[in-house]
Amino acid sequence: MGVLMSKLSVEDLSKVYGQKTVLDHISFEVRTGEFLSILGPSGCGKTTILRLLIGLLEPTTGIIRKDGRDITACSPAERGMGIVFQNYALFENMTVQKNVEYALRFHKETRAQAAEIAAGLIRRVGLWELRGKKPGKLSGGQQQRVAIARTLALNPDIILFDEPMSALDVDTRLTLRREIKDIQREYGSTMIYITHDQEEAFAMSDRIMVMEEGRIHQIGSPEELVSQPADDYVRRFVLENLQIKAESLSRFIQVKP
Amino acid sequence: MRKRPISSSLLKLTLLVFFAVAVLLPLLRMLAYMGSTDILKVLSGAGFRKAALNSLKVGLLTTAESIPLAYALAWSITRTHLRFRGLWSVLFSLPMLIPSISQGSGLIILFGANGVLTRLLHLGGNIYGLHGIVIGEAMYVTPIAFLMFSDVLAYEDYTPYEAAQVLGIPKLRQFCAITLPFLRRPMISAVFAVFSLTVTDYGVPLTIGGKVKTLPVLMYEDVIGLLDFGKGSVIGAVLLIPAVLAFLADLCNRDSGGNSFVVRQFVIQENRLRDSLACALCAAVGIFMLLPVAAFGVLSFITNYPVDMTFTLDNIAKTLRMSGGTYLANSLLISVSAGLLGVFIATVTAYCSTRLVSPVSRLLHLFSITSMAIPGLVLGLSYVLFFKSSFLYGTIAILVLVNMIHFFASSYLMLYNTFGKFNEHLEAVGLTLGVSRLRIVWDVILPQCRGTMLEAFSYFFVNSMITISAVSFLANSVTKPVALLIPQYEAQSFLECSAFISLLILCSSLLMKAAVHLLKDAIAKQK
Repeated sequence: MGVLMSKLSVEDLSKVYGQKTVLDHISFEVRTGEFLSILGPSGCGKTTILRLLIGLLEPTTGIIRKDGRDITACSPAERGMGIVFQNYALFENMTVQKNVEYALRFHKETRAQAAEIAAGLIRRVGLWELRGKKPGKLSGGQQQRVAIARTLALNPDIILFDEPMSALDVDTRLTLRREIKDIQREYGSTMIYITHDQEEAFAMSDRIMVMEEGRIHQIGSPEELVSQPADDYVRRFVLENLQIKAESLSRFIQVKP
Repeated sequence: MRKRPISSSLLKLTLLVFFAVAVLLPLLRMLAYMGSTDILKVLSGAGFRKAALNSLKVGLLTTAESIPLAYALAWSITRTHLRFRGLWSVLFSLPMLIPSISQGSGLIILFGANGVLTRLLHLGGNIYGLHGIVIGEAMYVTPIAFLMFSDVLAYEDYTPYEAAQVLGIPKLRQFCAITLPFLRRPMISAVFAVFSLTVTDYGVPLTIGGKVKTLPVLMYEDVIGLLDFGKGSVIGAVLLIPAVLAFLADLCNRDSGGNSFVVRQFVIQENRLRDSLACALCAAVGIFMLLPVAAFGVLSFITNYPVDMTFTLDNIAKTLRMSGGTYLANSLLISVSAGLLGVFIATVTAYCSTRLVSPVSRLLHLFSITSMAIPGLVLGLSYVLFFKSSFLYGTIAILVLVNMIHFFASSYLMLYNTFGKFNEHLEAVGLTLGVSRLRIVWDVILPQCRGTMLEAFSYFFVNSMITISAVSFLANSVTKPVALLIPQYEAQSFLECSAFISLLILCSSLLMKAAVHLLKDAIAKQK
């Protein structure tokens, strides 16, 4: 039953480079419409998971199933997933409009259809006035919106985010956070979100997967991580997060007499 | 990348084989050829030892002269309020558009026994010999060092100087603590490059050296005059040493560098005296660099210098009668072909080594820049020995190939740097969107490389137009490029015609440079 209910199921997934085990036989499931954050220090294997899920890497062992179907051998384009990278990876020589409609032109739609779909998405992410500009003229937050619109264009039911906000300033992060959640609700997409920012993970996620050195420590809702941490590592991790919150709160109180 | 297509490995393998055949095997062939020669006898010969000593002297003196001069010029352009900076830069790079041999003949026209300035200023006309070679070589290499320095200085960060000012550190200490360490790497690269270029050049000493022979001249005479390939390859191997040293110095310097983005631009204080001195220096050097060009311009249209100074077009007619036009066409064909082929192979290779990363890409990268460590004369002799019995020998094609290889490294590095700057995920994004790698390359990456590709093409073209080193052993009376007419006419005392050829080459290079400049401007406007 569990397999049938889940959008994505990962079984015994591992990735080994020569002597180095980056991902060590992990299994987990992602529910339909869920927002799952993968949280962990750099080098814990979280980016590797993402690249394996979307098919940019080949796993050493393991099976990936989407809607119950084995997609381990599928090409990235056949998986119906989108990915948003940290540094946007936009096509610098094309306008915002062309960036979003570029891939559509390879998927049977007519040019007019492609332009129409792209226009709708650009309006949706609030960049209508900037549609004729090239990425170099946009701010980091605006560029990331273009990247999101470009990903949405092919209507993937799973969207992967690889630390999409780490290059952005605090204000932009907060706005974009809300917008990503809005888009998720609106499109009913399943989202897998990589971050090393605990605050972000706690604020956005239905569930959080805490990782270290290629292994999963715990998967659970933010509340579960706080109330029933699986081990010392998670406890320290969560405690740290709470401490940061407490500190910023106390600073806030001190500043405001 | 998932399931790396076999085609990419196959492509890299093909390129490796190409470089092995076009660079490594010919070189090994030349080194192997030494086996049949009494190396010790060559090395201990009086002629060789004298030439080696001369080469060393020329190398050291030229380096000592041109490095400070080039630095002073670059400093004047980047660190003062000098006006018309663009104009000065163009003027200083003018010598890079003519063959090194033209520098020598230019000096003879000006300062030779019957030189223009010799007669005008009643000088001794004593330009022949070691000091003439050093002046000529300095004119040949100073522009190159100038370009290296002005590039480096333009990207120096001002922040450390500001911090030093805040801390009240005196200027001299600032120079020792900030400027010198910053300059160390580029200085090492420039010194080695200049030394190696000077020591391996034969154009200048051939024309102006008189009785003073350097190693490249000796090698040229042994191979061309005496057909003594054995002795030639021993000298070639010796010439390989400075070039390989320069290559290694540059390699060590380059790999650990690379953070060349400006954090804060230099703030240049007001200083009238400094600006005037800089202006005087630039004017003096600029005029001196312009002199040979002016001399070619004048001499080309004079009946019989210095006897009959009337204006004439006879020299042009005479050059054309001696098939000058055909040889110019040869040169243009060779240069355009080397440019097109070179840009194509450099683009594919640079793409493979930057964006299809695997253990093989490092090797490919190394293979692509090895040609930098091979002086033109050595490459030419290697090609003669390796391809002598192949169908390529004696054709225009082998001249195209040798030029392409000779000038490959710099063009390749331009593209390598450009490709490296692109976002690493572009192709991955394409794959997840169902767009193939090739499509992304064609639609996204190449359109953004047009400027660099033009620049690389112009580099191949200009250098193929002006080179006389690698091609000198490979060309015959049919395939000969026009630059080789200069030593020939000098030998036949057709000074006016030789001047006209230099002028022709300069005009071709200038036209190409101007065209590329305009095209790049047009591309920049599109952005």
